[in-house]
Amino acid sequence: MKNDKERNGLLINVLSLIGFIIIWHVLIILAREQIFNVPFMRLKDVPTPLETWYALVGSMFTRAYGPGLTYGIIDHVEASLVRVIQGGAIAFIIGVPVGIGIGYSRLIHNILNPIIEIVRNMPPMAWIPLAIFILVSGGSIFIVFIGVVFPIILNTIYGVRSTDARLIDAARTLGASRAQIIGKVLIPSAFPSIIAGLRIGFGVGWMAIVAAEMVIRSPVGLGYFIWNMGDLGRYAEMVAGMIVIGVIGYIMNISILILQKRVIKWAD
Amino acid sequence: MGRLILKGVSRKFNGLLAVSGVNIEVAEGEFVCLLGPSGCGKTTLLRMAAGLDAPTEGELLLDDRKIEGVNNECGFVFQEYVLFPWRTVKGNIEFGPEMKGIKEDERERIAQHYIDLVGLKGFENHYPHELSGGMKQRVGIARAYANSPKLMLMDEPFGALDAQTRNLMQGELLRIWEKEHISALFVTHSVDEAVYLADRVVVMSARPGTVKEIFKIDLPRPRVRTSPEANAMRDAILKCLGAEIQRAKGEGDISR
Repeated sequence: MKNDKERNGLLINVLSLIGFIIIWHVLIILAREQIFNVPFMRLKDVPTPLETWYALVGSMFTRAYGPGLTYGIIDHVEASLVRVIQGGAIAFIIGVPVGIGIGYSRLIHNILNPIIEIVRNMPPMAWIPLAIFILVSGGSIFIVFIGVVFPIILNTIYGVRSTDARLIDAARTLGASRAQIIGKVLIPSAFPSIIAGLRIGFGVGWMAIVAAEMVIRSPVGLGYFIWNMGDLGRYAEMVAGMIVIGVIGYIMNISILILQKRVIKWAD
Repeated sequence: MGRLILKGVSRKFNGLLAVSGVNIEVAEGEFVCLLGPSGCGKTTLLRMAAGLDAPTEGELLLDDRKIEGVNNECGFVFQEYVLFPWRTVKGNIEFGPEMKGIKEDERERIAQHYIDLVGLKGFENHYPHELSGGMKQRVGIARAYANSPKLMLMDEPFGALDAQTRNLMQGELLRIWEKEHISALFVTHSVDEAVYLADRVVVMSARPGTVKEIFKIDLPRPRVRTSPEANAMRDAILKCLGAEIQRAKGEGDISR
């Protein structure tokens, strides 16, 4: 029964994707044949799914392919991913202790909270000009850091604060010191929440990296790639790049979900 | 070792008197049950004995030393088990020894001893969410014992269990207690449970909680729940308690 339902669900998923591709294709062909055009749109310039596919395959591994295509999509993906992982790792290393501090201590909360509440409301993109201005290199990594660090801090705080007070009592009667309560009770208890923060953070970070690469103009990176392809009028490559961004973001999200299930064996 | 004395203990919460002038003594190796209507401060007394709370007046002594700050010479067993969900059965039981910095192989030996004692052999590597209520409380009891306490404090440990498991666990607890012979202060709502378990039953009055009467249960163990002596005892305690429950109800607020 359950398997049947799952198979049905999957079938609908696949059909929906195919349907979307067909509609995309038909709309563009109709526009090109001047049969029907969506008002205010130049749909005839948009690549068809098939053209996009060829562009994707053609620019996947290429190394020297005319202006702007010195790197293949694989290289751009790698460059963007490395930046997201670097920025995300720094955000994790800083965000978790800060979150634990704020969650645990009212004093630290009172000191840091006003700053965090204001800074976290500045979108990562708003930092781009400053990053260009003050950072000699690593601007995109910095933008990712800004995007990832706040979801991690906030989720860590939430995780620490929602620790069952009775668990702390139990640990105390079993002789746990203050440091042991933090290390052996608060952190494990907050862990699922911290991972959730990491997942949200990487989502934001992935969006931030694309924007940052467009503006900061590193010679390689997915954001740079789609911007550059747009500039050059190679719309098929541009759309292929957009789809790659979406797929990679999705894979990242799923990977962290799987990691979460693997690591947190004790959840119901 | 393991003599607990409460001397004129009172506790106010926001100006409201929860317990007032309580004097109780738990002798070495004795099993004492605290019985009383809801909101009479039984749990508060237990928390004070564990050092998780402090009296507004009076003092608590464990082996003639005043209890100040968290007292890790007590094993605390909670009603809702309060196990660490991210630790296995063994990990939970090892928690106390681990906090003391006891070496891993020694810790494992201690844990195994208590796992065997409470009958959880084969479940060492299970997580709490994989266990039934009765098994969870076995872990709770083993975890408290593994910290080698001088005194066990139990806050309605079987309150969340079904009647059958409850009876079974009472028998198990007595078996363990007779083996370890550590004094115990056990809070309960159930007269039946108190008569089955305790050497002495302390009946408390409605809020503000004071000691109303102390019953000595001089029946040999294992006790027969339905023996005439046990029935007579239950009858006497119920009468004493009944008046207090009426008072607590009359007050309107029996929630805490």
